[in-house]
Amino acid sequence: MIDSMIGQTLDHYRVLAQIGEGGMGVVYRARDEVLNRDVALKLLAHGALDKVGPGHLLHEAQTASSLSHPNICTIHQVGETGSDFYVVMELIEGRSLSDLITATGLSMEIVTRYGTQIADALAHAHDRGIVHRDLKGSNVMVTPEGRVKVLDFGLATRLDTEEISELTVSYTSLESKLVGTLPYMAPEVLRGQKGDHLSDLWSLGVLLYEAAAGRLPFHGSTGFEVTSAILREPPPLLPSTVSYGLAAVIQRCLMKERAGRYQRASEVRAALEAVQGAALQSRHPSEETRGLRTLVLRGMEHLTVKNGDVLLLIGTNKGAFFLRSSRDRSRWDVAGPYFHGQGIYALAYDGRSDRHRLWVSVNNIMWGTFLRSSDDFGRIWTNPPEASIRFPAESGASLENIWQICLGRDDEPEKLYCGVEPAALFESGDEGESWSLVRGLYDHPHRPRWMPGNGGLILHTILPDPCNKDRMYVAVSAGGVYRTEDGGTTWQARNNGVRVVFLPEKYPEFGQCVHKIVLHESRPERLFLQNHWGLYRSDNRGDSWQDIARGVPSDFGFAMLMHPHDADCVYIVPVESDEFRCTPEGHLQVYRTRNAGGSWEALSRGLPQKGAYETVLRDAMSSDSLDPAGIYFGTRSGKVYGSRDEGKSWKKIVEGLPQILCVKAAVVLLDGAPTTKPNLKSKIPKRWKTARTKRVRRGKSG
Amino acid sequence: MQVLFRIPGALREFTGNQSAVRAEVEAGANLLQALQALFVVCPGLRDRVLTETGETRRHVNIFVANEDVRYTGGLATAIPAGAEVSIVPAITGG
Repeated sequence: MIDSMIGQTLDHYRVLAQIGEGGMGVVYRARDEVLNRDVALKLLAHGALDKVGPGHLLHEAQTASSLSHPNICTIHQVGETGSDFYVVMELIEGRSLSDLITATGLSMEIVTRYGTQIADALAHAHDRGIVHRDLKGSNVMVTPEGRVKVLDFGLATRLDTEEISELTVSYTSLESKLVGTLPYMAPEVLRGQKGDHLSDLWSLGVLLYEAAAGRLPFHGSTGFEVTSAILREPPPLLPSTVSYGLAAVIQRCLMKERAGRYQRASEVRAALEAVQGAALQSRHPSEETRGLRTLVLRGMEHLTVKNGDVLLLIGTNKGAFFLRSSRDRSRWDVAGPYFHGQGIYALAYDGRSDRHRLWVSVNNIMWGTFLRSSDDFGRIWTNPPEASIRFPAESGASLENIWQICLGRDDEPEKLYCGVEPAALFESGDEGESWSLVRGLYDHPHRPRWMPGNGGLILHTILPDPCNKDRMYVAVSAGGVYRTEDGGTTWQARNNGVRVVFLPEKYPEFGQCVHKIVLHESRPERLFLQNHWGLYRSDNRGDSWQDIARGVPSDFGFAMLMHPHDADCVYIVPVESDEFRCTPEGHLQVYRTRNAGGSWEALSRGLPQKGAYETVLRDAMSSDSLDPAGIYFGTRSGKVYGSRDEGKSWKKIVEGLPQILCVKAAVVLLDGAPTTKPNLKSKIPKRWKTARTKRVRRGKSG
Repeated sequence: MQVLFRIPGALREFTGNQSAVRAEVEAGANLLQALQALFVVCPGLRDRVLTETGETRRHVNIFVANEDVRYTGGLATAIPAGAEVSIVPAITGG
């Protein structure tokens, strides 16, 4: 019968074309021959009538036809012809809300605008004793003018307990109408009660959630999972783009306990209108366009960075400080502290792919560790509501700290890596938006036997092989060096020849407390290693290591730096011993080898040689990429020293900072500048000058 | 029932700058369920109050009324009607 409807006439309606189909029946476009207008004609399926009886449905539809509201699809007529039952409705040109909702959700403005209209429609119907019972995205049409029209008021048939139980068992195999309906059902309806105006408000909450988040609040792969989530689970967190006010409205609609919900649709409408009003007042163009990015620093003197400037990023145990200089590196502006009072254990500057992004790991002793970034040298920072680096639930681990932020290779500008505590490696393939645990290393059979050092059990060094995308080295304290040759799937301990002083076995396969490893991109097969006692070189990608500690006052130390242009040149800052982790005899001296560890020379010109009991931590030494290279280091006593002549002479750049944990130097190339690596000969003025910006004021940080 | 959560200054970035947030919580809810209701409204609070494994962060104290929940059953502490929940950073530093 239904198949052959086109071209036929029901009463004075000539059926023109099929425009939709659902569990309730088929919808046609039809011509009203009397009033000369097109209408929608729904011919109800026999099954729909069998459940409740045509009389009941007719009554409900007739009641619904009394509704006249701009946001409710008007019912013109209900009727029967022979054994068929049909409803003639206003024909709405537009798209259903379920078609309009994208994976990322709709804008807050749209959600509140549509939500207000739906709530108004419900309020109108509820006041007249009419309940929808099947509110969902496919029952809400949006016209090209943005007007919402709610369809099918009162037409939903009530599912009985048996059907609900069938639905929960065989969700995926049921007809599409029920599959589409289940996720919107209120808990009490799933328990077999008749849907009422409060269950409509629940469905509205589901719809608002779906529109705002782009996904349903309660989902699962089986009907049982969906039902269980609706009955027991709290809705998952809404995206941070959803305003506090809208989230509160949605949450209240989704109270499992009916008494906790809004009690009237008009209350929902009023709440949504209030959210709309608040959004209009607080809209700020920069926040609007930047999404998650949050302005956290006001009243602070920020750096003004120009093309070719040298940037020094300093992480301390009480915040970050950023320094800049022109390429002559004679005067430095200082800005900070950023993230006032918080521990900055890792920093990075990512200038790949025309970006100029600062990355900072911010460790707050109370509130946890979060990765944050800024694309404008520190004025505006991301502050992700959810931690982007997090251990998967089944690992049973939780993040203590992020110790290293490492950029991927130059030809993989979307890649980033982080080394964390407890020792693990995380990677991102989308410029740091999302991160995943590198399971190959985390599931390594050695990992349970790694031992925490003084700073905890940490993965602190990450060295991607610049010439081989599948090869990478990491260093763990205390676990040793591990290498992958297959892009992180499997990892091998590479500590042959590296001595351990704190275990009975002096040369174990793993368990070394490696403090730092470095390599040069022109000779990626050769690595240098600063151990917890011991200086080593490997000429075979870490397969074996040989001692190179000849001519140093102590082979204990933390920092180790590769010269940016000379593969034979490495810098270290020896400290006296494990017990006395300060520069020997109060002499602050950098040691340098220029023959790959064959011999070492002390570099002390300009560095204090009396009473300077300093410590330079493992990440607190860095170089820029200019020629001659600038070498920089920071001390635990808060001083930063720099050399513009590759270590021959040094100058104190700034002092009085909190304990320095990490230092990163970079040359900034802004848009439009040459994209090749800088190799700029700089003129060296005779004297260094240090300048702090006029006033470094306290900034608010989150 | 409604629960009033007191939010410390450092976390107000995630509450629209509110020092107190009301959330609708099922009657008879425990602290974890009440917090979950709060986190739906203010998602940024979750990872700052709890670890990935769902435990309260070491240096975060939560009080139901004036009782530190460490001594009343932790996250399973029952929330009486009308109770206030305070999230407070512990005394710590370095």
